Amino acid sequence: MEPGEAASFILREYSKCMSCGFCEAACPTLPFGPHRGYGPRGRVRLASLAVENGSISAEGVAGIYTCLLCAACMLRCPAGVDIVGVVRLARELLARGAIRAPERIPLRLVG
Amino acid sequence: MASASPLKALLEFLRDSTLRVGLPVPLPMEEIYSWALPLRLPRMGSVILYTGALYQLMPYIESLTRYLSALEGSRVSDTLLRLARILIATPKLTRTLLAPEPARVERARRILTNISRLLSSSGVAHAYPYEDDLYSGVLLYDLGLDDAFAEVAGRVYRKLKEHGASTVITVDPHTTNILRNVYPSYVDGFDLEVVNYLEVLSRAAEESRIRLRGLVSEAVIHDPCFYARYLHIIDEPRKILERSGVKVLEPRRSREATYCCGGPVESVAPRLASKIAETRLKELAEKSKNVVVLCPICYTNLSRANKLGLRILDIAEVVEAEVPGSGSPQ
Repeated sequence: MEPGEAASFILREYSKCMSCGFCEAACPTLPFGPHRGYGPRGRVRLASLAVENGSISAEGVAGIYTCLLCAACMLRCPAGVDIVGVVRLARELLARGAIRAPERIPLRLVG
Repeated sequence: MASASPLKALLEFLRDSTLRVGLPVPLPMEEIYSWALPLRLPRMGSVILYTGALYQLMPYIESLTRYLSALEGSRVSDTLLRLARILIATPKLTRTLLAPEPARVERARRILTNISRLLSSSGVAHAYPYEDDLYSGVLLYDLGLDDAFAEVAGRVYRKLKEHGASTVITVDPHTTNILRNVYPSYVDGFDLEVVNYLEVLSRAAEESRIRLRGLVSEAVIHDPCFYARYLHIIDEPRKILERSGVKVLEPRRSREATYCCGGPVESVAPRLASKIAETRLKELAEKSKNVVVLCPICYTNLSRANKLGLRILDIAEVVEAEVPGSGSPQ
């Protein structure tokens, strides 16, 4: 996908999010993550901020790349946000350098 | 506990290896196709069994993950991964260095052999592309390396067509999903029918084209995310197991609501992958000591974290074709 198209897709999907958090209960990675960026709602927000700012923090990158793409969250999302699509396209923008990111990323786990 | 991931170096390694060798871990292609040699499957045919190399690669990826896991948090890992790029030019050296357990390598070959036999016993003749049984590029797609993925997808499609394919039979959820749902958007004129062997087998069992027998009496089933939520292949494995006389037990989270094994992040975040696997194993253990998995990534990641002494088996290790006159199942 062209970077502009991917960015629009991410912003459009984020605009559907009502922040209800129903997705979070289904996410396997969130209970082990140090912040909400390890869960679906956080990942969608991080991706949209990264598109808006053209950059992302190291903790944000960790959230984006620890997603399993397992889609358990999408069963729970009442707004029908394509969470997996958002995460994958954020990775594509990062790989293309369309979003600036630190080279080394922290992987902090709880417990 | 804090650590860091050599993400960029890892992505470059996976990309370059897949583009140059055809596999995300640079191995000699005979590691991928040698299982099929004793079966003497034809090289050409309209129905092609395409494994996408995932079953065969997993023992090596498991070894690689062990190294990455030991290095997680150390700055050495970046340097080592950069040095490891030399391996892309020397696949035989990679095989020696990774040295997976021979039993794991043998197990993958046995599973694929049984799948091919189950298809033949169902009356589904198939060819095999041998050295062209290339990796589908799933990881490149999942990690957002789209240009490299598009190149790989085009190459895999051309190779399958060169072997005469109009129908491709796949054997794992990730390869099935990428060919059925993603390749059509990346490969111009993609015209292959993609069927999964569980779909073929469940239909054959229903139509009594094959008699099956099970090697365990009961097992709890672990649905892989990609079969359950992306492909809706949910009833097929259950039908196959039940027709084989295996009682299927459902874990707390099953079918569409299945819980991931953690495997997809095993190379980026191995410790996180293990924690998720441990959580899932506890749920599965509530129902049975026998766990049936349907995906080589699930098998590897759950087995790595298996401290509960569960018996984790692939469905193709549990079910076999009953040969007439061979007696009843054990």
